[in-house]
Amino acid sequence: MISNYHHSPVLRGSFAIILFGLGLMVFNFYNPLDFSYFLNPGESYSAFLTFPLVMGMAGSRKRFLIVIPIAVAIILIILQPLSSTLGYDISDSLFRLISLMLIVVMVALLSERIEKVRSLSSLNEQLKEQAEKLEDANQELESFAYSVSHDLRVPLRAIDGFSRIMVEDYEETLDEEGIRLLNIIRENTKKMGQLIDDILLLSRAGRQEMKEGDVDMKSLVESVYREFDNQTEGRKINFIVEDLPPAYGDRALLYQVFSNLIGNSIKFTRNKNPAEIIVGFEEGKKETTYFVKDNGAGFNMKYINKLFGLFQRLHSPEEFEGTGVGLSIVQRVIKRHHGRVWGEGAVDEGATIFFTLPHENE
Amino acid sequence: MGFDEVEILLVEDNPTDAELTMRALKRKNLANQVAWVKDGAEALDFIFAQGDYCHRNPEDLPKLILLDLRMPKVDGLEVLQKIKAQENTRKIPVVVLTSSQEDRDIVESYELGVNSYVSKPVEFDEFIDAVSTLGLYWMLINNPPAV
Repeated sequence: MISNYHHSPVLRGSFAIILFGLGLMVFNFYNPLDFSYFLNPGESYSAFLTFPLVMGMAGSRKRFLIVIPIAVAIILIILQPLSSTLGYDISDSLFRLISLMLIVVMVALLSERIEKVRSLSSLNEQLKEQAEKLEDANQELESFAYSVSHDLRVPLRAIDGFSRIMVEDYEETLDEEGIRLLNIIRENTKKMGQLIDDILLLSRAGRQEMKEGDVDMKSLVESVYREFDNQTEGRKINFIVEDLPPAYGDRALLYQVFSNLIGNSIKFTRNKNPAEIIVGFEEGKKETTYFVKDNGAGFNMKYINKLFGLFQRLHSPEEFEGTGVGLSIVQRVIKRHHGRVWGEGAVDEGATIFFTLPHENE
Repeated sequence: MGFDEVEILLVEDNPTDAELTMRALKRKNLANQVAWVKDGAEALDFIFAQGDYCHRNPEDLPKLILLDLRMPKVDGLEVLQKIKAQENTRKIPVVVLTSSQEDRDIVESYELGVNSYVSKPVEFDEFIDAVSTLGLYWMLINNPPAV
């Protein structure tokens, strides 16, 4: 809108007034019919003074130019007693000058206001249009996610199922290599199934309606950790949860955040004995910073910009399995809560992922 | 197999999913009396003994209907709505067996009076387990009302 402003009717109108003022000025000097104008230079001043005035009103950023005619008017008032000694009285022209100034100021202000209202209403319309377009795009995305969840699973189940049936029904005729190859097919189907599930989770984290309220973060973290029972069994993990203050947000989405962060920590500390996972916080004025810290495989800070990227992985699938969607989900959820996410880490020393959540009234 | 002996009606447009379902039912010896129809329109013809199935005795109703949701022509929710709207068919247990895990499908199915909603697992073992368990439950453990 700013760039359009230079071609606005206000500016065009101002040019017209300037031309009119210049014409008036020339006319004042050379009017062949009325020489009294020539004898009264104050009148032509008035035309002159409309120039910076109109300029001043045209671009809202140049309003300070209004000062010029006002200053000149003040100078004229000061000079008034002097002018009489020169042979003519300028009080009359001063009066006309001031009225003209007022009229121009009023017209310019009015036309600027009209223009503002007009551009606002057109802006409003554009916004409405954009909102509708966004709504459409969202709808499309939603039905896309729906198709993905349904249509991609069907062939996947067939691939997995029939390669399994092959192993079951033809175990006698298949040799070891044949079974190995079929198992590779099945492993990859499983990975693809995981990928589809994760993409769906990501899309849900972005579009699901937020149900905000007070969330007991400590009990949330503890229930998330219990979900990983089957992965923590038989391992020595020092899991420490500080007395996390409650947060204001969507419980289900925040559950997703901790599920991904704690799941990552459990995964990446697999080769540590004992593993250490700390869920802590730092209270700020306007927000609380929560963090999940571990002593696991960590990462090289060189790749920090890839940490939250979709499908970006900092470890090979042989070292640690994964789809590269988890931290993208975390980022999306925290952004929806108007918070920030960042990470710190060092190879083989561990990683810490921080996120902030603004306090309820912020 | 005569139509009158049907105990389970499988409504499934995808032949591979149908085969996997049959295989799961076979494990519990429940596959002998399964009729498979390929879309919602055929399912309605079968249940209400009309169209291609007009020679079927409309009194002989299946004891369980396994219903996919997304199918060509007439989708599962529409079939469900028609079954539950008719006096003589509304008591048949209907289990939605679908790939969809969408909340709105689940909610709508239950609003239409579905008896159970099962999302097909992608993984073979889980799939076989889920289908054979639900077959066993509805055919042998559950007590249906006398017709």
